[in-house]
Amino acid sequence: MTAPAKKKMAGVRLPLIDGPEKVSGRAHYTADLPHGDALVGRILRSPSGHAEIVRVDASAARKLPGVAAVVTGADCDVPFGVLPIAQNEYPLARDKVRYRGEPVAVVAAVDAATADAAIDLIELELRELPAYYTPSEARVPGAVNLHDDRDGNLERDVHHEFGDVDAGFAEADVVREETFRCAEVTHVHMEPHVSLAEYDPGRDRITLHTCTQVPYYVHLSVSRCLGMDTSQIRVVKPYIGGGFGARTETLNFEIIACLAARAAGGRVRLYLSREETFLTHRGRPYTEVKIKLGMTKSGRMTACACEAVQAGGAYGGYGIVTILYAGALLNAIYDIPAVRYDGYRVYTNTPACGAMRGHGTVDVRYAFESLLDIMAGELGLDPFAVRRANLLTVPFETLNGLRINSYGLPECLDWVEEASGWRDRAGETPSGGRVRKGFGLGCSHYVTGAAKPVHWTGEPHAVVNLKLDFDASITVLTGAAEIGQGSSTILAQAVGEVLGVDFSRLRVVASDSAITPKDNGSYSSRVTFMVGNAAVQAAEALRAILIEAAARKLDADPGDVECLGEVYRVAGSQDPGLPFNEVVREALVDTGTITAKGTFTVPKEYQGGGHRGGAVGSTMGFSYAATVAEVSVDEDTGQVTVDNVWVAHDCGYAINPLSVEGQIQGAVWMGLGQAISEETRYWNGLPLCANMLDYRVPTIVESPPIHTRIVESMDPNGPFGAKEASEGALSSLIPAVANAVHDALGVRLTETPMTPDRVIDAVIRKERDAKRAAVPGAA
Amino acid sequence: MHGLPEFHLLHPATVAEAVAMGQEEPGARFVAGGTDLLVNMRRLIAAPPTLIDLTDVAEMREITVEDGTLVVGAAATLAELAADPRVRRTWPVLATAAGTVAGPTHRQVATVGGNLCLDTRCIYYNQSEWWRWANDYCLKERGEVCHVAPGAPRCWAAFSGDLAPAALVMGAEAVVAGPDGARTMPLDDLYGDDGATPFRLGAGELLTAIRVPDPGGLRGDYAKSRVRGAIDFPLAGVAVALRRDGDHLADLRVALTATNVRPDLVTGTETLLHGPLDDDRLSALERLVGKQIQPMRSTVTSSQYRRRVAAALLRRLVAGLFAAE
Repeated sequence: MTAPAKKKMAGVRLPLIDGPEKVSGRAHYTADLPHGDALVGRILRSPSGHAEIVRVDASAARKLPGVAAVVTGADCDVPFGVLPIAQNEYPLARDKVRYRGEPVAVVAAVDAATADAAIDLIELELRELPAYYTPSEARVPGAVNLHDDRDGNLERDVHHEFGDVDAGFAEADVVREETFRCAEVTHVHMEPHVSLAEYDPGRDRITLHTCTQVPYYVHLSVSRCLGMDTSQIRVVKPYIGGGFGARTETLNFEIIACLAARAAGGRVRLYLSREETFLTHRGRPYTEVKIKLGMTKSGRMTACACEAVQAGGAYGGYGIVTILYAGALLNAIYDIPAVRYDGYRVYTNTPACGAMRGHGTVDVRYAFESLLDIMAGELGLDPFAVRRANLLTVPFETLNGLRINSYGLPECLDWVEEASGWRDRAGETPSGGRVRKGFGLGCSHYVTGAAKPVHWTGEPHAVVNLKLDFDASITVLTGAAEIGQGSSTILAQAVGEVLGVDFSRLRVVASDSAITPKDNGSYSSRVTFMVGNAAVQAAEALRAILIEAAARKLDADPGDVECLGEVYRVAGSQDPGLPFNEVVREALVDTGTITAKGTFTVPKEYQGGGHRGGAVGSTMGFSYAATVAEVSVDEDTGQVTVDNVWVAHDCGYAINPLSVEGQIQGAVWMGLGQAISEETRYWNGLPLCANMLDYRVPTIVESPPIHTRIVESMDPNGPFGAKEASEGALSSLIPAVANAVHDALGVRLTETPMTPDRVIDAVIRKERDAKRAAVPGAA
Repeated sequence: MHGLPEFHLLHPATVAEAVAMGQEEPGARFVAGGTDLLVNMRRLIAAPPTLIDLTDVAEMREITVEDGTLVVGAAATLAELAADPRVRRTWPVLATAAGTVAGPTHRQVATVGGNLCLDTRCIYYNQSEWWRWANDYCLKERGEVCHVAPGAPRCWAAFSGDLAPAALVMGAEAVVAGPDGARTMPLDDLYGDDGATPFRLGAGELLTAIRVPDPGGLRGDYAKSRVRGAIDFPLAGVAVALRRDGDHLADLRVALTATNVRPDLVTGTETLLHGPLDDDRLSALERLVGKQIQPMRSTVTSSQYRRRVAAALLRRLVAGLFAAE
């Protein structure tokens, strides 16, 4: 018999606890929930990009047999929006429509055919206005404002300067500026949007099952827009097929489903098509990044100036946060003495953008890391040397007030340099023929949870309850939305690590507002860190209760009792000790069911600098990543093939290395799409690629071998040292591929995605320049 | 794109039954794998009241070789064609082309006839009902204007099947059954030159097979340009077949797909024969193709790129086949 010992749960490669249900098809996603007699919801969407609504006449539709309700903008005059300062979107358009595809009315009917027929009967009269699909069109003087309170269609401009930027440029040996353009991309989570809303007319209550990352925000929005007390609403998040940021705010269809259910006095299932899911969007905006760096001959940066312009789409959403992130995260990866940022978030007549994996930083990081390579090339420095010349040392406070306590970027660089054979291939002669090889490096970072919550309530940032009952099982109750990122698994592991019990004792119940504690949701990579810390605290509280109980039973001082997971005994003794079930029985005497609670609150000093917008970017820990990509570029077809990716990610500590590797691979893969093939495109505001054929997510054919390395810098504040693990690597992949394509071709693309046509344009430019250079006398 | 509109599904067992059903049911459409038609139906581009399912018509599923001629039933799947050892040995270009269509799961159900009779494609046409409504539809369907070239009184949707150019360069014939019996014609004659009415099939007629003659010394290859290595339709597809006689080109055939409203056999290649395959000849061939290729704004990728990549693929294929002897 082996000596009793606590089970090791943190740092263990554990398959995700909800994996068996998902891979076997037993998991019920929202669309799979039994819906019996639920009415079918269908949305009438605007055909116009920008128009005044003259008339919406649903009288004929309402009279159609089988139609239970038709709801229009006239039925809800409360705007919603994730940021309390930018709530300018109605669930169903009222005065104006501002993008093609905007919901105008919803029908609830007995079946789909009736609902479709009713949609056709709704009369919509519009008075067309000029529509603007790009930031430059929207900003032309005299352009009609999309929103009355935003002149020039500028949602927000940001102007930050830290340090003396002009002096920094004056000190530099080389100053370069380049402009990069990044196409708009979107998440393409596997599960299309769907809500099942049930209204109970007798009790005036709503129960909403919906595919969200933020059940709490949805709860608040439904309460506001329907004018119902929060106590009369229940929001449940079933299994969810991905989110990637698309679902980090309340989306129009969730409120629309509730409006329809209440109007119909029953249950409505609103299942959006893939095209409608694309139209709901909230992806990464089209972004122009003009970036300027000063550098000494040794590669040390002296100053950075950056201007970012984003086409935000028709509504506020997270827009202000996105444009602030783009500037704030110029900091906190390298030690830069002076940074200036000018950001412009512009309203356009396209579906609203929002948060997407690597929120705000991705396009700017691509531009920044590309320019670093350009300048390294000019100075004859190795790309690794340039990054190493600018590393920071912890503890560090950035110019804009961000605190860094752990920094694994040096180790990340070392590993990808070694593993990719970077130095061995230096000086390699370029291969002949039309297919050329290249290697490129990129680095990145990301926040571990936004330090300031969107709604300031004074509550902790995270709360976890543990329920222990007569059955000696432990239920982890959390509001944190498991969205495939593995949050439920991580919380179970965190609790298990503290208590050391058999993993089979643990269950996680997540995201049901009637049962689980409130949580702000799964966004900004906050859950492992914040909810994880709350889970650790809750488990410690439970352990203390159990130790007290064991001490009573053992007639010992609690300070002398040790918890060995399944056994509690007097420390150092040879006693067999008390088995867990007995300890639990003792603990329940007189008290009954035990609820142990843990909370976590981000200390004030981590909540960002005092400047306007300073909260965005603030966090308790940054993750770091370095990526090397190896590519082949076909100069005839323009095809970029990514042959290999080496990526090292500093996640502080891997509570579940298997899950971390999966997250890194996912980040690489998602970045790959943005690097080589994905873009939304609009034709007069109509989405050209709102389907999975034309929106080109990479297939398995495009997916390279991904060599991952977890770097553990042991953050002093993270649970067991952990920090962000699933967003950071994405933004280093794109510049790594871009720099590799440049290495292969000898010419730089300044746009993403690097599709074959864009590559060929670059090849044509190169050939033209070569011809010009060959003509004697030509400059 | 929500559910399918309602329809009756009929299951003929023979070609004769299929043809008879087609005559009895007004507005009926033939379907096999459904990878093209069902998508269009879900988009309400087509809403036929009756579908006649050809997958149980045994005589249309066979792949046989008769006196050196390959006969491929129109209901044979692309996966079956791509894997057939006789095809791979003697008509490898057909297997190659079939193997590049969409992804493996599509090819399990998608058929030879379906790919040869693929509806022409366009970014203004292959969209949802809402999308097309918001865009006033288009010349190919319910609308007045071709959004690709608004001035032109014709439809520029591009034929985008991969198999047709490969079959064309190998001299394939189409076998068509209809109310008046069966007829055989050059495959080229199956295609019209307006994207809105791409097939020259009479009412109630269906393609039942293709016949591909013994290649003799003719060797073919096919390549397509696309953004992703699977799923995507071609942005430009090129099939080449040639015969070499010592250092000379003795026969050369080129066909294009996805660049024109029909799969086009390039004419005039015979002027390049009977000489060595040097750079001049390759350039002359490129010019010849350049005059006949006509990519329009029917895809999100620019016409200029599609033109250029077609030329690049052409050079590679010709040089590769010539050198492989």
